[in-house]
Amino acid sequence: MELTTPGVATLRRDLDQATRDAETADVALAASGDGRAFERLYRTHVARIHSLAQRMTGEDHADDLTQDVFVRAWSKLSTFRGEAAFGTWLHRLAVNVILARRTTLGTERGRYDDSENVLDGVASRPHTAELSLDFEAAIERLPDGARQVFVLHDIEGYRHEEIADLLGIVPGTSKSQLHHARMALRRNLER
Amino acid sequence: MSDRWTDRLSEYLDDELGAADVAALEAHLPSCADCQATLEQLRRVVARAEALDDRPPTTDLWPAIARHVGVVSLDARRARRRLSFTVPQLAAAAVALTLLSAGSAWLLLRRPAGAPPSQSTTTPSPILTNVGTYEANPRYAAAVADLERVLAQGRSRLDTATVRVIEKNLGIIDRAIRDAQSALAADPANSYLNLHLAQEMRRKLELLRQAAALAGART
Repeated sequence: MELTTPGVATLRRDLDQATRDAETADVALAASGDGRAFERLYRTHVARIHSLAQRMTGEDHADDLTQDVFVRAWSKLSTFRGEAAFGTWLHRLAVNVILARRTTLGTERGRYDDSENVLDGVASRPHTAELSLDFEAAIERLPDGARQVFVLHDIEGYRHEEIADLLGIVPGTSKSQLHHARMALRRNLER
Repeated sequence: MSDRWTDRLSEYLDDELGAADVAALEAHLPSCADCQATLEQLRRVVARAEALDDRPPTTDLWPAIARHVGVVSLDARRARRRLSFTVPQLAAAAVALTLLSAGSAWLLLRRPAGAPPSQSTTTPSPILTNVGTYEANPRYAAAVADLERVLAQGRSRLDTATVRVIEKNLGIIDRAIRDAQSALAADPANSYLNLHLAQEMRRKLELLRQAAALAGART
């Protein structure tokens, strides 16, 4: 018998709830020292955290930052109150860890020139067949400021006011950086 | 190509322009092919960003993380974190263990010659195979009830010192069982508490078997 739409919706809701319950249990177990539960949390969230780190800082630092995020999460699990989903809490922690590292990385890479002429070079790279990889590579070539705002706003869904708080800038600057990033990346679409 | 509206197109796309600016831009767009094209491209950029998939790292980072947080040896880590007792708790545990050992030894030493040995205490009872079902396990409850009945029937055949030791040890185990059950009610998924409860219930069963065997042997 084919499931009706309401039945499917109910089943999906139950599964989502079961997943959340399992994660809540794993967080509690991990907080009490259960490494296996923490590994399950790691497996669930590592792709999102690693992608965030790679987009924000580049491929070279993503592994290191991802490890740092999970090590810090382990030490801070006792402060997780369950007011938000664990994934939300972990993501916020990851953003803070990544941004705390950005000054060092920016100095190493010498990429804090956010002027528009720097953006001109974003799309000037060899064409690859895989569009999403091409797009990811174009994001990575953005100057730090524009890239961080673009990732936080257009990929991660933060608002300009939140981004301004995180980056220590005014919302107007966040809007301007976002527009510059989009304008640079639109050239990538034409390739 | 750009005009005074080009730098406002992202704000327009994100619904962050004021009503007057929106009206002015929407009046401008039909007559400006460049702005129309740029707006469409910006829409595609936003759509592409929203459609990006998250990808895991190419190498497994867990072993390094596990080393950092000290969970490579999971069992050791668990024991270190969960079994960190205070001195009074350790002293109480030592007393309880001493009583249990003394009780077992007392029962064994008091067993008359020719009496059948009690069942092995190292072989887990087939009744106790699933920690999560202990509390509602009818086979366990029935086994305990049977042994308690046998013990009650043979109690008069045991001397008072033996009975006192048995009752004291059963009281200690029952308290441990109640404490574990209370803790599990608040934290049902805690594997340590489940294991602890299982051990205490198994211990009760074994003590009752020993005592019942001793009482039966005095018949």
